[in-house]
Amino acid sequence: MIKELALIGVVGIVSFGGSKSAFALDVPITAQVTGSCIISTETQGTYGQPYAYKLSTAASDGGQQPVTRVDVTLANAYKVKFTAPDSFSSAPQLNDVVTFTGDTEVQAVSDATNMADYETDKVEVNDYVDEYGLTATGSTWFKHSSVANNGGDRAFPSGTYTSYVTAECIAL
Amino acid sequence: MYRFITLLWMAFGVANAHQMSPTYPVLEDSYLEGISVTKVKVFNKREDVKYYEIGVFDKDFKPIPFVAQYKLRGIAFNEYAIFDIYLNNKYSKDATYICSESMLTDIESTGLNSKICSKIKK
Repeated sequence: MIKELALIGVVGIVSFGGSKSAFALDVPITAQVTGSCIISTETQGTYGQPYAYKLSTAASDGGQQPVTRVDVTLANAYKVKFTAPDSFSSAPQLNDVVTFTGDTEVQAVSDATNMADYETDKVEVNDYVDEYGLTATGSTWFKHSSVANNGGDRAFPSGTYTSYVTAECIAL
Repeated sequence: MYRFITLLWMAFGVANAHQMSPTYPVLEDSYLEGISVTKVKVFNKREDVKYYEIGVFDKDFKPIPFVAQYKLRGIAFNEYAIFDIYLNNKYSKDATYICSESMLTDIESTGLNSKICSKIKK
């Protein structure tokens, strides 16, 4: 009887131990969160010419403001820096010095709660450069403006004028 | 639900985009003594951009010498490229950012020059 009880005990321990190890088998689930920043051109900009000496992206001046979208998949991992044009990248032979002004502002956000302060918290580095901290995941639409005035109110020579906005997404 | 739609849109709805990952690349020993290596992936979903330039910079965005098979590389629309970046260990301490920048060749009026910088994990 004692031998039978001992055998049952041994079998029980072995079975329990075996099934325990089977149930406790670790199934690894791994993930590598790399995150990324995506910069998109949402709307291509065009200059309107309200006066012979002025080129402007404002709709009221006949232009179209470029819109950029920035998506981030990690919060507090990036800042985005926009530089408005301070010169033409291509233009006909100019007849005077051109003065540029430009600005960037938040047009829309995908997360109204966590991105509400983006515009108020922006850092204006100089007349052309604006910086935003991207503290939440999601999309932000930025609207840019650019105005070019030819010196002495002289008419811009006829031809095609091009410039570009620089968008930099920098990991923190 | 709103976030789900936003995520779906972020994943599939971007029509004209420049993307780079990872956010924090890690420098590892290469098969060459004294040389570290890392990889970044640049995805081109900008139809108006055909070339991207890669660069390595210190914390003040001053250029750091590095070696890559291509520093300027053509990436077709909706394609990606992986850049292997080799750094001499004497520079790797100062190397802070790896940036990819779109090279604009054909812009109409106000275009967008996009630049994305990942930060090397120390």
